[in-house]
Amino acid sequence: MGAYLAKRLAASLVTAILASIVVFLLVRSVPGDVVGQMLGQSSDPVAAKALREFFGLDQPAWRQYLGWLSHVATADFGTSWSRGQPVLGMIGTAVGVTLELALATLAIATLVGVPLGVVAGIYEGRLLDRVIQTFNLLGLAAPVFWIGLMLLVGVSTALEWSPPLMYVAPTESLGENISIMALPVLSLALLQAAAYSQFVRQSVVSAFGQDYVRTAIAKGVPMRTVFFKHLLRNIAIPLITFMGLILIQILGGAVIIESLFALPGLGRLLLSSIETRDYPVLQAGLLVVVVIAMLVNLIVDLCYRVIDPRVRLS
Amino acid sequence: MSIFNLSGLLHRRAVLALGGTATVAALVGPAAASDLYGPSAAGAKSGGTLNMGLLVEPPGLDPFHQAADARIRLTVLIYQGLFYESPDGKATPLLAEGFDLSADRLVYTIRLRKGVKFHTGQAMTAKDVAYSYNHIRDPKNGSPGASDFGMITSIEAVDDATVKIAISAPNAALPMTLGNKYGGVVPAGYFDAPDAKTKLNQASVGTGPFKLAEFKPNSNVSLVRHAEYWEPGVPYLDRVNFIFVPNAAGLLVGLRTKRIDLATLNRPQDVSQVEGVAGLVVERKPSFNQKAIDLGSELKPLDDERVRRAIALAVDKDEIMRASIGGFGKVIGTMVAGMQESWGAPLDRLANQKVDIAAAKKLLADAGHPDGFELNLTTIIGYDWMDPAAVTLREQLAKIGIKLSIQRVELGVWVKNFQSKQMGFTFNDWATVPDPNLLFYRQFHKSPEGADFRNWKNDAASTLLDEGRAESDPAKRREIYTRYQQAMAESVPTIMLFSADHIVVRNEKVHNYEQHPTGWYYGLARAWLA
Repeated sequence: MGAYLAKRLAASLVTAILASIVVFLLVRSVPGDVVGQMLGQSSDPVAAKALREFFGLDQPAWRQYLGWLSHVATADFGTSWSRGQPVLGMIGTAVGVTLELALATLAIATLVGVPLGVVAGIYEGRLLDRVIQTFNLLGLAAPVFWIGLMLLVGVSTALEWSPPLMYVAPTESLGENISIMALPVLSLALLQAAAYSQFVRQSVVSAFGQDYVRTAIAKGVPMRTVFFKHLLRNIAIPLITFMGLILIQILGGAVIIESLFALPGLGRLLLSSIETRDYPVLQAGLLVVVVIAMLVNLIVDLCYRVIDPRVRLS
Repeated sequence: MSIFNLSGLLHRRAVLALGGTATVAALVGPAAASDLYGPSAAGAKSGGTLNMGLLVEPPGLDPFHQAADARIRLTVLIYQGLFYESPDGKATPLLAEGFDLSADRLVYTIRLRKGVKFHTGQAMTAKDVAYSYNHIRDPKNGSPGASDFGMITSIEAVDDATVKIAISAPNAALPMTLGNKYGGVVPAGYFDAPDAKTKLNQASVGTGPFKLAEFKPNSNVSLVRHAEYWEPGVPYLDRVNFIFVPNAAGLLVGLRTKRIDLATLNRPQDVSQVEGVAGLVVERKPSFNQKAIDLGSELKPLDDERVRRAIALAVDKDEIMRASIGGFGKVIGTMVAGMQESWGAPLDRLANQKVDIAAAKKLLADAGHPDGFELNLTTIIGYDWMDPAAVTLREQLAKIGIKLSIQRVELGVWVKNFQSKQMGFTFNDWATVPDPNLLFYRQFHKSPEGADFRNWKNDAASTLLDEGRAESDPAKRREIYTRYQQAMAESVPTIMLFSADHIVVRNEKVHNYEQHPTGWYYGLARAWLA
């Protein structure tokens, strides 16, 4: 296990470095730079030159990259060019918000989606299955921004209440935090629960056709045991894979919900950094997304081993 | 509302009346409190926190190196210049108390307001003023205000309470230039620290009525009352939270549920969603902004004045305004709506303002385009008004045979094109401070004195801009700028379409908030909560 972890981490490091090069080139390929944004329409060429020197933009790209990389190696992500704050702190705060959003969504989607999928799978073709499938279809078809908007407008109209607009961390006030996060989490969870439910239903339907399930039922094993001991364990691996994918998807796609509910998450931070061409924040933020995606994949792979000891990590 | 009351400008006849001595008597006294930031607040209560919703987050809070309007709107409450841009066009003394002007109109001796303290607690002196403005005017320091300060040759502290500013040629707009758009007065030596620029986002060092409490990107900027502010009793609010709500739906919901006490709407037509809501008050205020079509002469056939005039004659400004902002604005000629009364040329003296398709077709035919031509219009993503305006414009230009294609670009791309003078045929959206020199000179004067972003290269118009800048007699100055506007309307480097009104929505508990025509939030310095 130790050797496997070391190997995976080394491969991840190489991937992260390659990703950082791609990200570096990508953000610089967008026309315009932070100086153009800062000086606006009436820029003075001398002032523009001075600012480009200040930010090091007059240096060749390779030198800028190596300079950035050498700082990153010492955990120094620099200072935001437009916001003037330490990049690490900004990203840490934003990742915290987005992770909270993603994990809460994942938890609710799992708690709702898995039982719905199981029930639909067990009652395949019957009324209950059709009702759940209708929910799945609606959840998958409705765009997240639409669900969010409907929830926001609907709740505010019905209750004359809307979530507070300044984010409060759960460590500061759990109650306030829940009132801020409830609607955004619900907006995302509806889609993900539907996706879960659909996925689990397919897995259950498929598993019921397998020999080991038929044999267990034929032997008179109680349905509860068949389900929890045999069926659930067998669909656990694809389920964990699916969870990992959903988590990454939420991390990358939370920007719409973050914007709608004014949450200071990673998606919004990256979006505003693109607008201001804030390279230090962009590069570090995208790198963090890559690292989180790799970590999630690693954790998923390790979970395989825990769930099924026959799986060999190599 | 007349320019003839411009207290910041020296009337030549006044100099003569005073005997034409080398130095004339001060013409400007201390500003009455009611002149600054908005009307005096009778019966105002102190205290409380006001939540203001903003659709656009300032990219940073550095007033010296960040030109974004979203930054200026906030930082005018934190940093102060020597003069205040009164809505009626006056440059009203702010950190200045008054000034003397030499007979040759090249040296301003400015007396400073007493008892001013920085947010750091230290007292402001003339050294700080000289240091701050010298920092802005040196282009090597990278300030977007450097070009506006190009006419200043020296700034020095005479004593603790007096600064002397010398300029290279008479410039009636100098006091307005020493306003609050760029920079402001900070302690001398502030920028010596290598991280000084970035620190401006964490702690403020201005003299304004509010100081920075926190800046949380993508969340909020919070300001708190500057307890040692020089005007006793002001501001009334203890704290202002500027909350960034990046979509209109969230902002409107926040207003309806009273999470937000005050907001200005980017899309004026959204007002229908909050009108009639109990506890909300909606106000419509004039503005200094303009939505325009720019015609860069580097793009053929826009280099032909006849083609530009033909386009102007085909444009129905009112139709575009109604399509793009639901009519919540004012169609303009060659001056933003809020300055029409003080500086605008009478509309009946301007050419190419009324739709005349036959004349436009004839001009195109004369220019060698009897069947029209294909033209690309650039619009900016995120500027909502431009999309319906572009479609309407396409229909209008089709009547004279011009086939318009529409290209939507991101703001950074657009700015890059603009700065490199490759703007082509594009919509523009910009605002001004209330002085015609600051509105026109850099944008339209030929190079190298101006930037001439539209490659207009018009000698006669540039001469008029030079004359207008030098002239200090308000009546003569207005006449010069009228002639300039006539030249602009005749030659069409730009077509100013309309000024969108500022739509202010406030909770009824918010009192005495006056929206400044620039769109800046000066009014918060005088607002109070019931």
